[in-house]
Amino acid sequence: MLLLQPENLLIEKTFTKALAVGYVPMTLDRIVTDFDFTAYHISTPQEKTGILLSVAIKCWNDLVAHGTTELLDTIYSKYSAFLQILSEDNAEPGYNYSLYIQLDKANLATEEEKFTLIKDLSLLKRNSFAAPFLEAFKKYTELAEEQPADPNNIYGEDSATRSDGKVIALNYRDRESIFIKPSNDRVTVIFSTIFSDETDRVFSKIFLQEFSDARKRSIQKAPQVINSHHEIPLEIQSLEKENNDNKSYITFVLFPRHLSTEEVQWNTITQIGTFRSYFHYHIKIVKCYLHQRMRFRVQSFTKVLNRARREVSEEEHKAERKTASGRRFEQRN
Amino acid sequence: MASINTPAVVMDNGTGMTKLGFAGNDAPSWVIPTAIATRATGTSGKSTVSSKPSFLSTSGATGAGNSITGTSSPSPSLSSIKRDMADLDFYIGDEALEAAKGPGYSLHYPVRHGQIDNWDQMERFWETSIFKYLKCEPEDHYFLLTEPPLNPPENRENTAEIMFESFNCAGLYIAVQAVLALAASWTSSKVVDRTLTGTVVDSGDGVTHVIPVAEGYVIASAIKNIPLAGRDITSFIQTMLRERGEPNSSLKTAEEIKQKFCYVCPDIVKEFAKYDNNPEMFAKYMVDTVSDRKITVDVGYEGFLAPEIFFNPEIASSDFLTPLPQIVDTVIQASPIDVRKNLYKNIVLSGGSTMFKDFGRRLQRDLKTIVNERVALSESLSGAKSSGVQVQVISHKRQKNAVWFGGSLLAQTSEFKSYCHTKQDYEEYGPNIVRNFSLFNVPS
Repeated sequence: MLLLQPENLLIEKTFTKALAVGYVPMTLDRIVTDFDFTAYHISTPQEKTGILLSVAIKCWNDLVAHGTTELLDTIYSKYSAFLQILSEDNAEPGYNYSLYIQLDKANLATEEEKFTLIKDLSLLKRNSFAAPFLEAFKKYTELAEEQPADPNNIYGEDSATRSDGKVIALNYRDRESIFIKPSNDRVTVIFSTIFSDETDRVFSKIFLQEFSDARKRSIQKAPQVINSHHEIPLEIQSLEKENNDNKSYITFVLFPRHLSTEEVQWNTITQIGTFRSYFHYHIKIVKCYLHQRMRFRVQSFTKVLNRARREVSEEEHKAERKTASGRRFEQRN
Repeated sequence: MASINTPAVVMDNGTGMTKLGFAGNDAPSWVIPTAIATRATGTSGKSTVSSKPSFLSTSGATGAGNSITGTSSPSPSLSSIKRDMADLDFYIGDEALEAAKGPGYSLHYPVRHGQIDNWDQMERFWETSIFKYLKCEPEDHYFLLTEPPLNPPENRENTAEIMFESFNCAGLYIAVQAVLALAASWTSSKVVDRTLTGTVVDSGDGVTHVIPVAEGYVIASAIKNIPLAGRDITSFIQTMLRERGEPNSSLKTAEEIKQKFCYVCPDIVKEFAKYDNNPEMFAKYMVDTVSDRKITVDVGYEGFLAPEIFFNPEIASSDFLTPLPQIVDTVIQASPIDVRKNLYKNIVLSGGSTMFKDFGRRLQRDLKTIVNERVALSESLSGAKSSGVQVQVISHKRQKNAVWFGGSLLAQTSEFKSYCHTKQDYEEYGPNIVRNFSLFNVPS
């Protein structure tokens, strides 16, 4: 598994089962989690055929300010025949957004329709995080129309004719944030991240170096990645005053290529959205791999040591026999 | 820390099945085979190393080393990239079974007899279960893992090393399965006082254990294993089907008959007579074959005979002949005298093979007979009146995943996190910190 899947497998499993032919309705009451302090609650509050799917996201207030509710409403309102959207105060207490699905009213004729519904439900987290990105992408289009980017500036160097939009900040974890900054020729996404473990930080440096080098080497289509371990990037210096927590900053520069069509935009959002988890996942995988090698190495050393052990002959062994206090057995003739 | 509000992760890695889920849920979110499929030959990381002339040569000895040095060389060869990916090329659970059917992958079971056998595979198994199936960042969650009774403390240390050093998990608690099974029985209405004293009869697929637990501590010297469990029942049914010449006697059919039709009867002789007098007792079971043809399989005596092997093992096995109630009695008699009464009073069932209807009732009745006989004998010998021994077998609804459920129950309590060892503790004291876990104070 190289990439983390953006969809939540448990939600997918639950609804695939629930929408399958011959499903026996049952009482559900489950807590499901996702990365970045996202929690889901799947329950059947009234009757067994009505499933309530609620989501709680840590930075919900930041997201709402950038139109998440509207975006989710447009995505899920196409199922309005059997799916009821409960947002803001109507949502389940303790959660931010709820969807109430009535299975008995859901008459999805084809497997295809079922599949898209399940997909949309399991991507609830991705969809929630998409709104600020979409807003930034829209701003970028506006800015680009006002002041088209210099076509000769293919390497993305700073030009004098640049105009910038406002930086959107999402405090999606306790002390870590995502910043999105639209400009007329690019959209910059900056992650601030903290490593609780010093070893992780070292791994992360190597890992991020690979990201930056990949672009130089062969994959020109990739967005530019800049990482800084202590300095706060210029773009967000107005928002982040001090770097007390030893944060690392990772900057992604999305070029028009990554924002050209709607499909590409969604793909970009999906990839960027799972970045932090992906990053930490791979650091952990590398550690697993190293441990594997270490165990192997220890085993081989043990083998070498065992080989070096001197063969003790039967005669010698007898002579060496001692009691617990260290006395020898004397052979009497 | 941030992990105060996130639900704890409960993982029960059994020999056959792994149960994964979050504390507070009433059932595990995932029940998957504890299996991992890795690249079989040539491309796997291990074999490339062993083919190296000397492991002492430092250049490119590790995969990470390769990727670092690889950047300096202008174009790393394709084969080296492929080799670097080998550590990611594996599947776990149902996907592993699926992948192992095709070429190129071989299937491994990292847990043997309840204990972790291959740490490399187990580490990768955990990693994928956490990141793919549970979708959680281990740094944000507390973990509750289970271990079999008599697990060596070195295994605990290894587990802690992986959980804290690879995954940086926020906190860890390792609980003994039998204790969790006792905790799961608190949901039963028969249980009045929530004690951690009792006898656990745990019967899974491979082996049946009888484990006495006193105040949360396993009495290791008295544990007994019975080599009869779910798998033996299935094969017993299969043999009966074959002997009768049923049209379908596959393992799957036998398994389903076991789950749907089997029950424990109070008396075999009477049960035989009952079947012979009313032929409608014989059930029919429809098997769907691949070719859409329906085959009917008759279900006869095996309905009550198969679970009977626990009580009369001689019908199925020739080398193991002690009935289960007898074993339970021996186990309790081998325990310290001051807890015996409580062990008799609280016999808890756990595991899929104890799910047969009336299993608990039969066990209780047979055990009572044994105990009463002994009480009568001692009364006649000593002349003193005994105060009597209460025998009670507790069956409850969550028997199948009792261990996991017990874990979920304990991990959702507010004090759970204070019993865990945290990453800070681990760094302060080292892996041997997990040799001891304070037991849960039993809520009164």
